Amino acid sequence: MPIYAPTLPPAPDLHQGHPPALVLMRFDLARLWRQKIGRFFGFAFLMILLWKVARIYVDHLLQTNPAFKPMQDFAKTILTQGAAFQADLLNPASYLLWFLVALVGGGLVARDTLYRVRPLMYAHPVAPKDYLLAKLGFASLLPFAILLPFALLPWLMSLVLAGLHGPVWVTAPLRLLPAMAISSVLMGSLAVGASSMASTPRAGIGWVLGLVLGTGALSAMLRGLTGIQAFDALNPVELAEAWPQLFVGVDRPLVAWLPAILGTAFHTGLWTFVAARRTRPSEAVI
Amino acid sequence: MIAFENLEVRYASAREPALKGLTLSLEPGIVGLLGPNGAGKSTLLKALLGLLTPSRGSGTVLGVALGAPEAAKLRARIGYMPEYDALIEDASAYEQVAFWGELSGLAPESARDRAHEVLYFVGLDEARYRPVSGYSTGMRQRVKLAQALVHSPELIFLDEPTNGLDPDGRRRMLDLVLRVHAELGTGVILASHLLGDVERVADQLVILDLGQIKAAGSMAGLRKILARRVELRFLDPLDAAQEAALTELGVVLEARNGLYDLELKEADPAGAFRWAEGRGATLVQVTPRHDRLDEVLLRALHPVVQGS
Repeated sequence: MPIYAPTLPPAPDLHQGHPPALVLMRFDLARLWRQKIGRFFGFAFLMILLWKVARIYVDHLLQTNPAFKPMQDFAKTILTQGAAFQADLLNPASYLLWFLVALVGGGLVARDTLYRVRPLMYAHPVAPKDYLLAKLGFASLLPFAILLPFALLPWLMSLVLAGLHGPVWVTAPLRLLPAMAISSVLMGSLAVGASSMASTPRAGIGWVLGLVLGTGALSAMLRGLTGIQAFDALNPVELAEAWPQLFVGVDRPLVAWLPAILGTAFHTGLWTFVAARRTRPSEAVI
Repeated sequence: MIAFENLEVRYASAREPALKGLTLSLEPGIVGLLGPNGAGKSTLLKALLGLLTPSRGSGTVLGVALGAPEAAKLRARIGYMPEYDALIEDASAYEQVAFWGELSGLAPESARDRAHEVLYFVGLDEARYRPVSGYSTGMRQRVKLAQALVHSPELIFLDEPTNGLDPDGRRRMLDLVLRVHAELGTGVILASHLLGDVERVADQLVILDLGQIKAAGSMAGLRKILARRVELRFLDPLDAAQEAALTELGVVLEARNGLYDLELKEADPAGAFRWAEGRGATLVQVTPRHDRLDEVLLRALHPVVQGS
């Protein structure tokens, strides 16, 4: 037998809270926390980060310790310290990052569809653009947050150990951070668009992986048939890897500037449009 | 509380409008919204929540015009309890009620405090910390009611609040609805197909079918009409002339095997005996039919031909 309160006191003042998009993002973060997938991915990304930082330290030892002088020529072949080395800092096992984005982003909209809570959200002071902004923001901030230590820690260590002449350029973060932002928005929009087409989180994961691998296969086919390298820009995995290369000025990037801009605009625009269409209030059955 | 005039709502893909020129004014109180599936109840609620823009007509909810730019802010003054399970299964009742409170504009600390208060109000005590996936149907309905009340709305829409509840659970839920109105002063629109529920709590009634209002009015007025509903039994079957003359007494709702259901023009059934005497018929029994609210609904939805 339930025990009921004698009465309900008046509610505190409204309009004191955070913007709806921020509330939605915090709730998604709490959901992610409950999923307990951080242990595996945290360990995997930490190992990759340690490897990248270790390379900086090894380079420092080779430059400063006379005992390693005979190995310097060999080290130069593996530690080029050029543009490719800078771009490679943001390549923390690209497929692992995409898999994480699929695992988390695939359920972002689909879970709301499964539990049918989106109509209820729109019955609150939440506009469709708030909802879309929250989902895109969360799906984009996640890869950005994971990539951030990969851009900053090696740079910081290089700066501390070797000053201005370390293996990581002093200006590297200025080039890597915009590249990270673009790649993260690309990943986020694709994940949210794919998730909006699914009715369960598992189906959402399948949609994300299917779109990533499917567009990759399509770009490979088109390139094979026509011999035009620009079709690589249809492949979101290559696009995400190409942006750091373009910003640091690698000689032969995976995708050139113009195809990269067009490809990113195509994917981001298309999947954001799909997500916006699929999360309209009129799609919400109440 | 709510008023609309010639309100028409049309879905882009549909030929016919879902709501066809509704005109109605509802006073503060508990309004029962009745109608079969596809009647337009949900569409009406969507339009009142500002989720659908009317293709024609106008209306106001709590003084705010439908389709106005401030309609989004209006939703902070409305609570909505959907018919289906709109619960986040992997979250506890406390977490999600606080979440809905924050979405309505409460500060995070206030939303957490408020979630405790409102869950206690609806009768969920220690269970509030458990994930809702393990809740019974009655508990789930109470969580849905709690999320609709968390921000102290001026008006709540309850869509089939007693769905799936046993008689005791139904009674408790309806008691809560009455308390919400009596103690908090919240206006209630209750959509239900269970006439007993509506009859128990509502003070106004709207019957909707095929996007049109079939009947609307106060329950007190409806009860007055119901008090004039009688079943007449005659000793011998009436002839055609006598049957035709029955309209002098009132509206003939149904005729079967010498029994006639009528809505009398006057509340006094003695007039029926006088009419029978004057027409040479022997009236042997007059039975009041004021407990048949379901017939009012059926009559509104499927009007009978007089004298049939």
